[in-house]
Amino acid sequence: MNRVEHVMGFPVSLRIDDEGGGSRMDETADALFAWLREVDARFSPFRPDSEVCRYDRGELRLPQLSADLTEVLDLCEQYRIATGGAFDVRLPGRPLDPCAVVKGWSVQRAAELLAAAGARRFILNAGGDVVVSGGPWRVGVRHPEHADQLCTVLELTDGAVATSARYERGDHIVDGRTGRPATGLLSLSVVAASLTEADATATAAFAMGPEGVDWAAARPGCEVFAVDAERRVRRTAGFPVATVAA
Amino acid sequence: MKRVIPVLVLSVAGLIPVWRYEPSIGTTTTTTTEAVAPTPTPSATSSSAGSSSSSSTPSTSSKKVVQGTAINTSKGTVQVQVTFEGDKISSVSMLQQPDHPQTTAAVPVLIEETLKAQSSKIDTVSGATITSDAYVQSLQAAIDAKGA
Repeated sequence: MNRVEHVMGFPVSLRIDDEGGGSRMDETADALFAWLREVDARFSPFRPDSEVCRYDRGELRLPQLSADLTEVLDLCEQYRIATGGAFDVRLPGRPLDPCAVVKGWSVQRAAELLAAAGARRFILNAGGDVVVSGGPWRVGVRHPEHADQLCTVLELTDGAVATSARYERGDHIVDGRTGRPATGLLSLSVVAASLTEADATATAAFAMGPEGVDWAAARPGCEVFAVDAERRVRRTAGFPVATVAA
Repeated sequence: MKRVIPVLVLSVAGLIPVWRYEPSIGTTTTTTTEAVAPTPTPSATSSSAGSSSSSSTPSTSSKKVVQGTAINTSKGTVQVQVTFEGDKISSVSMLQQPDHPQTTAAVPVLIEETLKAQSSKIDTVSGATITSDAYVQSLQAAIDAKGA
């Protein structure tokens, strides 16, 4: 079963390969996309009535926040501390923007929804951030300079991979320490057990620049593939590069 | 980052004995032990055989065990042992290592490569968060179109 829907401003592709799921898998897919639309309504910094915006304007206080938003903000704070402030969802003069964590966290939740419904073999790709189950799957990493080419292919059975780069949305990742766009890397991908970890680590490391590659590589359970501004690749030995060409 | 620096320093310190080892030159700080190949015991009954009955092991299969110098680091003493078979390293082991959690934590060693462009058969694509407009022309769209 294949489905593509546009949620939160990016395409979400779902492929479920389990046999005989039939209409139940269709219902599960419906529930998955409904969850992502709900996340958009609740956590979008671009919707004035979202929980995030109401909290940012002071209409909601910390104890009044949902458990979900509290969890997201806790994660944001953990990454802010771990990166020495390079990753920061509260930049001066800007509205609160926890998107970088919300995306990975909510898509990971969506994948858990699939697993709970009995799906064993699936690929969930949310605008380039990927959760897979029941592989081996071959996941290509887009080449930072050629949209129709790959810079590596990895083999992943169960887990997640997220990539941060500037080629789609320009200089949108800001180094919170300087307030300037992060430009030291062309692309950085992180493989981890969950997309929550992979996506936040990739974004945070990208914000840090070249030193973020070492930082991400030292995080337990994270494998890294990075292309710096001089087009050099630096990757961890454990990054699961596919060995067999297909 | 503060935590990474001592870990890196320590791991480099652990490698010093390996770097210091020079296969052909015996140094005062390196002890070399030739593992004695099991020599066949000369049998009394074979004395009638020629003058030289002792078999000499070909040098290519000789085992050589080399112990590196014990290096004192701020975390404790580090010493490695390298076993050669012929001129190949067959094993490297730590004779002494500091009983400190930092030595057991994996120190990431980053591999440097050149950036390559490739195309390959894949199931999905990871990349920077794509916009819905850009998706139409993306590799992922092609994959989705094929699967639908």
